[in-house]
Amino acid sequence: MDATVSPLRVALVGVPNCGKTALFNRLTGSRQKVANYPGVTVERREGERVSAGGRVTRVLDLPGTYSLNPTTLDEAITRDVLLGRLADAPAPDLVVCVVDAVHLPIGLRLALEVKRLGLPMVLALNRMDVAKRRGVKIDAARLAHELGVAVLPTIAVKRGGADALIEAIEPSRWAATRRLPSPAWPETTAEDAEQLQADVRGILAAVGYTAPAENDLGKRVDVVLLHPLGGLVVLLVIMFVMFQAVFSWAEAPMDWIKAGMAALGDWVGAHMAAGPLSSLLVNGVIAGAGSVLVFLPQIILLFFFILALEDSGYLPRAAYVLDRWMGFVGLSGRAFIPLLSSHACAIPGIMSTRTIPNWRDRLTTIMIAPLMTCSARIPVYTLLISAFIPNRAVGWSNLRGLVMFGLYVGGIVSALLVAFVIKQFAGKRQYSPLMLELPDFQWPHGGNLALGLWERVKIFMNRVGGIILSLMIVLWFLSNYPAPPPGATGPAIQYSFAGQLGALLEHVFRPIGFNWQISIALVPGLAAREVAVGALGTVYAMSAAGDDVAAQLSPVIASGWSLATACSLIAWYVFAPQCLSTLAVVKRETNSWRYPLIMAGYLFALAYLAAFITYRVVEAWA
Amino acid sequence: MLQEILVGLIVLAAFAVCVWKLMPARRRLRALVALDAWAARHAALSGFRERRLKPRIARAAGTGCAGCAANVGIKPHHPR
Repeated sequence: MDATVSPLRVALVGVPNCGKTALFNRLTGSRQKVANYPGVTVERREGERVSAGGRVTRVLDLPGTYSLNPTTLDEAITRDVLLGRLADAPAPDLVVCVVDAVHLPIGLRLALEVKRLGLPMVLALNRMDVAKRRGVKIDAARLAHELGVAVLPTIAVKRGGADALIEAIEPSRWAATRRLPSPAWPETTAEDAEQLQADVRGILAAVGYTAPAENDLGKRVDVVLLHPLGGLVVLLVIMFVMFQAVFSWAEAPMDWIKAGMAALGDWVGAHMAAGPLSSLLVNGVIAGAGSVLVFLPQIILLFFFILALEDSGYLPRAAYVLDRWMGFVGLSGRAFIPLLSSHACAIPGIMSTRTIPNWRDRLTTIMIAPLMTCSARIPVYTLLISAFIPNRAVGWSNLRGLVMFGLYVGGIVSALLVAFVIKQFAGKRQYSPLMLELPDFQWPHGGNLALGLWERVKIFMNRVGGIILSLMIVLWFLSNYPAPPPGATGPAIQYSFAGQLGALLEHVFRPIGFNWQISIALVPGLAAREVAVGALGTVYAMSAAGDDVAAQLSPVIASGWSLATACSLIAWYVFAPQCLSTLAVVKRETNSWRYPLIMAGYLFALAYLAAFITYRVVEAWA
Repeated sequence: MLQEILVGLIVLAAFAVCVWKLMPARRRLRALVALDAWAARHAALSGFRERRLKPRIARAAGTGCAGCAANVGIKPHHPR
């Protein structure tokens, strides 16, 4: 391809948490996840920028790294891209080295390493607003002179904060240096490392760098948050308040959605002639997808809290506090962020284990990530809690919120126990100290929060409108056909494909208290956990005479199931690996079928055992 | 009768969507690439290729969950 018309390939490189992704979003108009902690980007991301003249710049956002001598997989990706080692990606035409102006010494070291590769480079001096506020002085012109590259002050989170950089990466400016051969990897010795450090000190002195003023309030807060015991108490209180709020505040909007779905079902039923199409819409689509949609307010609230904590800079502190406790079960504190991400979805959590340098620690974290309570479990838990737990106050808290908190804690405790068992089999782990840069505290950025919430809503709605809706329609068909034989006395669904399948599965699940309706719902629930709620909605709509089962699933199961069955189903969902995508990602990340198969096997065994014990104990007690 | 036919078509379409969505990401990408190669032989489909197929292939190359679909996939690194 002609170098003058092919896109200019620009790579963003920098230490973790220096604002590369925020800059990437600013340059490309993209909406990638940004958070105030290191290790958010674990893969390269690619976006395009089209200039006014129609010229295309392809921007690569690379995982943060402190050095080009990588210790983790995500850091290796950065090095390999710069060296043009990946088969489908030659070395970039231009490197934008992003340096946090507040912590210039850390970024400068990497900038010098990158410069030695000989690739065309500009330096983005990011977070200049914070640097000025904290009294950091940098002579940018002198820095440009010392490095021999253009130095451009940027404020990635501010509109217009990267205009100078946008102008600097205009493709026409770099036409002469396009498609250089990939750089060679320079072997580095201890003397080279010392020389690099000396060069950094020399440049810092030359540019008149003054370290940022100490943040006294931040230090005082850290005394509490980083205290081995105090920090743990604060973490538990934050989680507790979070789940209380999720249950209390979401009640009203959930009622509105329920009422809306019931009204829609009534309206469709009243305006259509009775027949298969009306039944498909009312009992399949509205009852199935509607019963999942109800949980949107709770998901939004939960993610509001998680995103606010991410943006504030609290999460690395929580990782630090938990490092010691996680060490008891053979995990490193670095596992905290992947495990926390798994509360949203195990897939990004498993992918972010790439930041864990030790393979054994990484594998343990991957194996326990599905035990974290992901957002797909929320509809199942909420449905069962609403049906079986009375809505009453316990002291100043709510009983339902307490149970939900308990389920989250239960997931975490189970994960730690499994990690402990793995530790016994895997032997003594190689000690790898936790090294985390604690970011400055900041108020959560409204734009980031809104963007993060919008992304979660989009993902949830895409699932409801895509896989959940499609599965509900298929399940409706399986629940309706074939028609009951002449003279049949039972409900029609018992004679359908779904009824026959449920009757077969019931033999397997009867010992743990599941009836045939639950057994049917578990099958489409294999695709994604939350589908099970929609499936229950459809199955009960087909087997009951009620008009608005979509809105009334909770009372229907409350009257039809025993407490032991409900508890058993909850226990099942704490452990069951009911997510094919998670198993596929484990296969991809471990490059082997062995680990996803082990994972599926041990989680199913645990789920069955836990459900069996729960069912028997509750039945005996009740 | 018309209702029965309509319902049949909807169920078939839903089944196709289920199969597509539950297909492993790598196989889905291969299917899209094969479809793209087929569409390339038909000039009338050039608009469909540019507007619909190419962005889908780019997204499918992400291979992550919906939240990570904008990521460009990389070859898996062997862990050891």
